[in-house]
Amino acid sequence: MTMKVHKVPSRSQNSTKRHGKNKWRKKIHRLDSSLLNTGPGTAKLEQQITKKEKPELKRLKKLYTKPIPENSCAEEKRKEKATSGTFAHVHTNGGTELDDSSSSVDSQEWSEYANSVLKNGMESSTSPKTDQMEEDGLQFHAHFDRIHNRAVLVMKQGQVLCFRGKCLLTCLYGHVEVLGFTIEEGQQPYPLFSPPSHCPLTITALGNNPPSSKNKKEGLLEAKAIVRKYFSSEPSKKLMSEVDSDSCVVLLEPLDTPLTRFLTSFSELSEIFGLNSKELKSQAAVYNPVLSAVGVTALRGPCAQGLVVSRSYREAISSLLSAWAGEFVRCPIILVCGGKSSGKSTFNRHLMNSLLNHTASVEYLECDLGQTEFTPPGCLSLNTVTEPLLGPPFTHLRDPEHMVYYGQADCQADIDRYLESLKSLWRHVSGESPVIINTMGWIRGHGFQILIDLIRLFSVTHVVQLSFGNAPQCQLLTPDLLRTARGWQTHPPTPPTLTEEPASHPSIRSHVFFSVQSEFEGAGTSGVMQHQRSNELRDLALLSYFSQLQSPEPGPIRPLHCLIPYQVPHSAVAVGVTHCEVAPNNILYAANASIVGLCCLSEKVMGRGGPVVLSQTPICQCVGLGVLRGVDMARGLYFLVTPVSPSVLRHVNCLLLGEITLPKILLTKQHGVEGDLPYITTDYSFEVQGAGKLHIYKGLTRPGFIKSNN
Amino acid sequence: MHKVYDLKMKKKTVGKTRHVVAWMNKAEYEHVLEYLFSKEPALQKHALHRISAWKGRFGQSTPVAVESTADLVRCQVLDSTGQLEVNDLVLLYGMALVRFVNLITERQQKRVARPLRRLAGNINIPEWVVNLRHDLTHRRLPSLKWCRKGCGFVLDWLHQEYWSRQMGSQLTEDWNSSSEEEDEEEFAKRYEEELLRRQKEIEAHKKVRELLISYEREQFQTYEELAKQGGQRGVWPDASADLSWILTQIKHFSTEARDVLIDVLMQDGFLIPTAEQLESLDIDPSEDSVDMFAPCLPRVFLHFWLPCLKVLNTSIFINLILEKLFAELSNEPSSHRTYYIASWISEIILCNSKSELKAHKRLKISKERIFINRLQFPWQNLISTCVNAPCPATPFLLRQILSDMDKPLPHDAQQNLLRLCSIYTQGYHENTSPGPSDPAQPVYTLQNLQDRLKSNTSQNRDTHSSNHAPRSVQAPPTEDLQEKLSAETIQERNFALRGSAWSVCTDKVPWKQYPLGKVPGQPEDPSCLMVECYSTFTVFDQQVELDQLPQHHGNRSGPLQSRVSGADGPLWTHSDLSKLKAGLQLF
Repeated sequence: MTMKVHKVPSRSQNSTKRHGKNKWRKKIHRLDSSLLNTGPGTAKLEQQITKKEKPELKRLKKLYTKPIPENSCAEEKRKEKATSGTFAHVHTNGGTELDDSSSSVDSQEWSEYANSVLKNGMESSTSPKTDQMEEDGLQFHAHFDRIHNRAVLVMKQGQVLCFRGKCLLTCLYGHVEVLGFTIEEGQQPYPLFSPPSHCPLTITALGNNPPSSKNKKEGLLEAKAIVRKYFSSEPSKKLMSEVDSDSCVVLLEPLDTPLTRFLTSFSELSEIFGLNSKELKSQAAVYNPVLSAVGVTALRGPCAQGLVVSRSYREAISSLLSAWAGEFVRCPIILVCGGKSSGKSTFNRHLMNSLLNHTASVEYLECDLGQTEFTPPGCLSLNTVTEPLLGPPFTHLRDPEHMVYYGQADCQADIDRYLESLKSLWRHVSGESPVIINTMGWIRGHGFQILIDLIRLFSVTHVVQLSFGNAPQCQLLTPDLLRTARGWQTHPPTPPTLTEEPASHPSIRSHVFFSVQSEFEGAGTSGVMQHQRSNELRDLALLSYFSQLQSPEPGPIRPLHCLIPYQVPHSAVAVGVTHCEVAPNNILYAANASIVGLCCLSEKVMGRGGPVVLSQTPICQCVGLGVLRGVDMARGLYFLVTPVSPSVLRHVNCLLLGEITLPKILLTKQHGVEGDLPYITTDYSFEVQGAGKLHIYKGLTRPGFIKSNN
Repeated sequence: MHKVYDLKMKKKTVGKTRHVVAWMNKAEYEHVLEYLFSKEPALQKHALHRISAWKGRFGQSTPVAVESTADLVRCQVLDSTGQLEVNDLVLLYGMALVRFVNLITERQQKRVARPLRRLAGNINIPEWVVNLRHDLTHRRLPSLKWCRKGCGFVLDWLHQEYWSRQMGSQLTEDWNSSSEEEDEEEFAKRYEEELLRRQKEIEAHKKVRELLISYEREQFQTYEELAKQGGQRGVWPDASADLSWILTQIKHFSTEARDVLIDVLMQDGFLIPTAEQLESLDIDPSEDSVDMFAPCLPRVFLHFWLPCLKVLNTSIFINLILEKLFAELSNEPSSHRTYYIASWISEIILCNSKSELKAHKRLKISKERIFINRLQFPWQNLISTCVNAPCPATPFLLRQILSDMDKPLPHDAQQNLLRLCSIYTQGYHENTSPGPSDPAQPVYTLQNLQDRLKSNTSQNRDTHSSNHAPRSVQAPPTEDLQEKLSAETIQERNFALRGSAWSVCTDKVPWKQYPLGKVPGQPEDPSCLMVECYSTFTVFDQQVELDQLPQHHGNRSGPLQSRVSGADGPLWTHSDLSKLKAGLQLF
């Protein structure tokens, strides 16, 4: 990581006014904000930050002075399409942060060139690509090394591989970009996951850094030598002929982890790294045996769009990067909000990956209980992110720095406990790295009030509001609105007295507001395909969490019930239910074979025989989840299965029960058990009246509102 | 959302699924059912407490009927205490009744709101109950008498409609009201899985075809080079790098998508060569040049496919392919197809025959062999399938099978079978229908035989079709699933836990036999998890003010209260409640 950090400020000639240089190095204390804050009005601050689309941010220094590769014209057209804004799906978000700064000299030249090409009797920029170009782009020159079971892929500059599946990617030559993160030669291998639940990942070849020290031929020889090094036998001539000084060479290896083994051991999830039904229907798979040998299926056609980046999206990302690069009074605290399925999570990952190109770590405050990024659902957490996120949440669960178990997938039942939990997490924010606050999809009514609270409570500096369609889903959270709107807990600041200048009022801190329009297909509609529904994603996150119990070495998958549990006396740990009232004498009926949050109360718990029942839900540190595998009534013991390490588990003295339930398949499939499974029946009939859960029909039409009278 | 309703139609095909419920077993369900409708307040209260735990487990998917029953029974229990005033009770009953009518009819609503009266009528809830709801929400509150009457009726209704019918104890089917269905999400999911499966199959077909075509291309190339070098007598070279790559892929498919692979192989242009393919292999494609009665695969063509078949050489695969070949034969294909199918059957049986294998082992020419070791065929079945797929070559094939059986049939039986077979297939060959025209010919015997065999083969096919099922259905070996921790690991973990109440369970328990929620020695009794004695622990208000950020977050907690409680004491003492209130202070 450090090497990354060092080469960043490469083009910063005009960086005289930048104090922020030390930002690039890790763990340097923040500048004393009081010194700098010599009274810039809020508007001024805003200006400072947004106007700074500085070319010096371009650390990748693309000087397109060399001959243009054959394929580049199609490539450029795509870019052109993106900037024209009509068809905002871009194959290359190549160099993400660069694209908008088209005012910089070289890329202007570049686009002029592209324009001249386009005007040369070819179609207008919005017309679809010809098949020929399509085919060219889909020619993946890869060679498989059977001995080491890995593949080397040579990509032309600008070539894009949009894929499903999973693999381990090492960049051997040049550099590539995946979801905003740039991977260069010499960096560690990164796992990539592109399951059908989310937008497919794309690997974009960015080519090589300008060969300043070496000429083109040297580069070519170097690249070829690298390719040769990775083969036990001489690679095919065809592959070698594809290698060029500005091509990218990546090594792809099959990825086999406890997570992938555990998930695919369930027949329902055997295709979790395959294609989704839409891609299958439109026959989007490109047949390539080398890629499929490492677990990657390339996509083509409309399914191979990858991430759809709208203009506002790109601008927001780039402005936020500049905010971090430029001078600032306060370290950027970025709140990302938007309705359900508006693309918050993907935006966050993209933003974090982009930031990680420039900084060693990003802090991430999870306020979304349902679709959590790093933890199982129902948890609020503060995470320090140092590794890029190259897959959907369930592929990169991590132990957070601090976590509170809320116990439900939404916060409506107890908004105060929700906000208090977040406040308790906020105390651990270091303030030395940019902070990203992810929020819930609940943006109406009290949900909106909560957003206002979060902006005020955490002194947010940047708000990104994602919306889709023609009308925004809720009011825009502009600085103006914040001056008057009431939150759930907070009130607007009292207006300054007439004698005072508003700008000089120190207590009113304002934020920069970005409105981002999501333009991907299906924005705002929750996924309907397999593995895309929110409850399925929650189950995947839980399965992913419990996959940590599997041994890291390949071997048989052990179901949870086969594991040797931990035990603890009833009197030593308190038990509480977060989401409803359970009669204390029946508490074990609720707890048995359930998921529990493993929490630490500062007070010692000492019961006097029998369980210790919490009278209310505490807000306390949670170190992970476990499954209360059984209760020994005779000896007064709980048996617990958990991936939490014993050195942490020793601090646990409180088990919180929530509405987060074990994925059904963990209960219905327990191999090796003789006799009936508890809590499982085949006799439950949904045909019987009242057998279903409470059902809410949204948008029930009243008979008066339709013409025909039935 | 509307699409979902069409999907419901498809639901009937789905077999019994396993549902997760809140009760451990049927005994617990019946226990609660009995207590709920016991009319004995103490027992009813016991049941309500259990349902509170169920609601904890079910969360948002608590069945509407369970929730309504609990609410209504709660009213009866409170009523029976005699502590509440009439007006209190009307409000309590009122809420429970309104919720019942609303929730139970909710499911009946479609796109357009329909009058509750009609919806309720559909499920045999009388109009007066609906009117009672109307009075409660929009008019003067009804009298307590009406509330009690309504509650009593509705509980009876729930008893009969839900509780007695649920969990496999369906009493009556007289009210055939429009049935309630499983979650729509579930249908959509299943339907989509089905679609996905089909689509995958098509995709796999395509892939296998492409793969086999590239195999053929590679082999043709090899053949051409061979021909150039000196006629087709030359020895085929070892597989090239490209070919072995293709072969690995084929091998992969033979485990991943065996049936698809076999299907494709069976199509024209693969194991059954087209005339064009034969010509390019210098084989005369005309039918005059071959003996329909004794089919024999052209050597070149065998060589052409040998590398592929060698990688597919597993007993399951060969058996399946034999079965498929016979199945194809019974579809009465064109004579060209018939010939090649029969040739392949003959070739496979021949290659596997005892004498052939011995001969080749001696000569050490394993190159031309599909099999290295003799495979076991299900001989009886093979005979059945063979006579079940009559063609000109059947006697020839049958002879081969009979001579190679491990436990040969009695000589008489063999002769009779062959005779029968010849008679039958001659008729076939001359294209006359094998009707019972001549009573002297014992054709009916064969017909008989066929019928019997047909049933045999279909059974056979059933057993074989288990191969279609996903791999995971084959129960994995459970022997080594039990986690075993080394003494060091246990020691290490216990060392890390030292000083705390936690430890690794070191009981000698075969955990793999105990599903989640069960421990050794746990009784089946539905009251086994009841707690007779518990303590209450109160953690005080923990609100964090941002102004006090640097502070340590300590939970001030109240003194521990220990209390022995019976099943029917109040849940919270007065002091508990006041503490609760203190903790709930908002700002």
